[in-house]
Amino acid sequence: MRLIARYAKELEKVFEIVTVWDKEIQKEQVPKEDPRIATLTRTHPAAIWFERKMHDDFGIVIEDAFDNRPLVHQERFPKALHPLRKSFRETTLEFDDYRPYKYEVIGGDGVFEVAVGPIHAGIIEPGHFQFSQAGEEMLHQEVRHFYKYRAIEKMLEGKTLFEAKAIIERISGNESIAYQIAWRDIVLQAAQCELPQSNRQYHALLLELERTIHHLTDLGFIPNDAGFSAALAFASRLSEEARCELKKITGHRFGFAAIDFESHKLDKEALTVYLDGLEEAITFFETWITDIPSLWDRFDTTGILKMKKAVKYDTVGIMARASGLSLDRRDDPFYRAHGFELQSEKSADVAARFKVRIAEVKNALLMMRNFAVPGCESVTLGMVQDGEYFSFTESSIGELFMSIELKEGLITRFFVRDPSFVNWQALHLMMPGNIIADFPLINKSCDLSYAGNDL
Amino acid sequence: MIRFWSRRLKTGLLTENPEVDAELKAIQNELKSLVAKKFAGSLAIRMVDSGSCNACEAECNALSNPYYDLERLGIYFVASPRHADVMLLSGLMTFNMTPHVLDAYKQIPAPKWVITLGACPVMEAPFEQTFAIKAPAEDHLPIAHHIPGCPPEPIEIIRAFLVFLRKI
Repeated sequence: MRLIARYAKELEKVFEIVTVWDKEIQKEQVPKEDPRIATLTRTHPAAIWFERKMHDDFGIVIEDAFDNRPLVHQERFPKALHPLRKSFRETTLEFDDYRPYKYEVIGGDGVFEVAVGPIHAGIIEPGHFQFSQAGEEMLHQEVRHFYKYRAIEKMLEGKTLFEAKAIIERISGNESIAYQIAWRDIVLQAAQCELPQSNRQYHALLLELERTIHHLTDLGFIPNDAGFSAALAFASRLSEEARCELKKITGHRFGFAAIDFESHKLDKEALTVYLDGLEEAITFFETWITDIPSLWDRFDTTGILKMKKAVKYDTVGIMARASGLSLDRRDDPFYRAHGFELQSEKSADVAARFKVRIAEVKNALLMMRNFAVPGCESVTLGMVQDGEYFSFTESSIGELFMSIELKEGLITRFFVRDPSFVNWQALHLMMPGNIIADFPLINKSCDLSYAGNDL
Repeated sequence: MIRFWSRRLKTGLLTENPEVDAELKAIQNELKSLVAKKFAGSLAIRMVDSGSCNACEAECNALSNPYYDLERLGIYFVASPRHADVMLLSGLMTFNMTPHVLDAYKQIPAPKWVITLGACPVMEAPFEQTFAIKAPAEDHLPIAHHIPGCPPEPIEIIRAFLVFLRKI
């Protein structure tokens, strides 16, 4: 079974541990006085971040865990504070004494460490990478994040679903539409409503446009990290045009506030003209870039994530599909009826992830044509019912999981697992055998979100 | 490569839309001359994200695309704070990032300026105060200028640079 998420919830007398698998959802209750659970990391290594976070958030002890370091709470965070407990109500915290973090490093004669971050050398989000090096070659890398931790989960408690919307759509800007669709699906379940076909098509169109923007951006930045900046000039033009198109449709360059239950009109003809232009450009781009051997020399066999490891680490999205897995939340009758085809590659390297992105842009183009409806209608929602709701959406990075629990119409627990949260944990597997100069290239080929990961 | 160059020659200069273009044209001379006068021809910016949603970073990256091409006006994003004149700060000043932001600010040689980017660092985004947030940024740093928006669009950022340059 594939592990999707693992998180805790505070009930009146107990903590409930929810483990979400692809086929079932398991629940386990532990007493509040002495909360202890067994680790899942022996079979699912990616459970470790979920479990370390659970300890930081609630103080739940993970027995027999091989890693007990704090995850979210960094060097200056007050000790033994578990802010997701209901009894914690502070809205400000003072810095505590500095307690150094022990990085995973490899020792040995001539082996040295390289610390990168949290502030990186480009216009990019903050995070830390600690490398163990033997000369140029990377022996190991530890990914350390949560510098952007805003405590979104706590922030949303006590709000209605509709009050929470503006925050949810800003959790990770480049996946905003996906987050909004995840929220939409939860609202629909809570209000026991069906969405008309035209609204589903309109929303799916926006999600494919967001995916196109994300992929186009990467199709420029990946070759740029291999020293081929002409591709960046070409693709950044395309991503700018796609962003302008998103603004034309939704009124916002990132589609904030675009997914709702109102009626919208779509200028189908203008969209078709735009899509025709993009199709021509991407076809040119593919022929051109495929024909540059020095570039593929850098892409091929760089940063391999073997299929076995991709499964073991429960990876999702582009990373999983480029390692040969057939894993895509869009693989359903609705998407297939609109032309969806699962894109995957077998070589599992930077080249594979690059090719999957090109293929997905081309497939998104086809789907956008089929999703283009003249407009959608306004939907009357029923009363929002209390309960626990789950939703799954395929964002431009991968499968996004969201869960919201409502009591008297207010959120008592909000949890979201960005695809990046599992994929970051598999990043280090791609490093051994590669030189450190290839790290930016490998990292960019996965292009994971820091904001969605850190929350 | 021949294919690329023939396309390159056919494409010519890219234009966003006539209004944006006209505006860029109108302000670019003043921007360029102010950068020349006040920063000896190159204004170096160190962008620091202190906990944003990553949309502000995407818009800053967009400043380098062929539509805006900020570098032709003498404004550069640099890799190290030690090379910078200005820190462009986005995000909510999270508890975990604040010490690093202050470190980076210390590394910028004087004279230096901080420009806040987007609604987050001034606590005007929909995000609410939690224990993990240390915004507003003015509690920690002297702010020379603020660029509003969620996120500010590339043309708005360029416009704001002009206002900043006139001001200092």
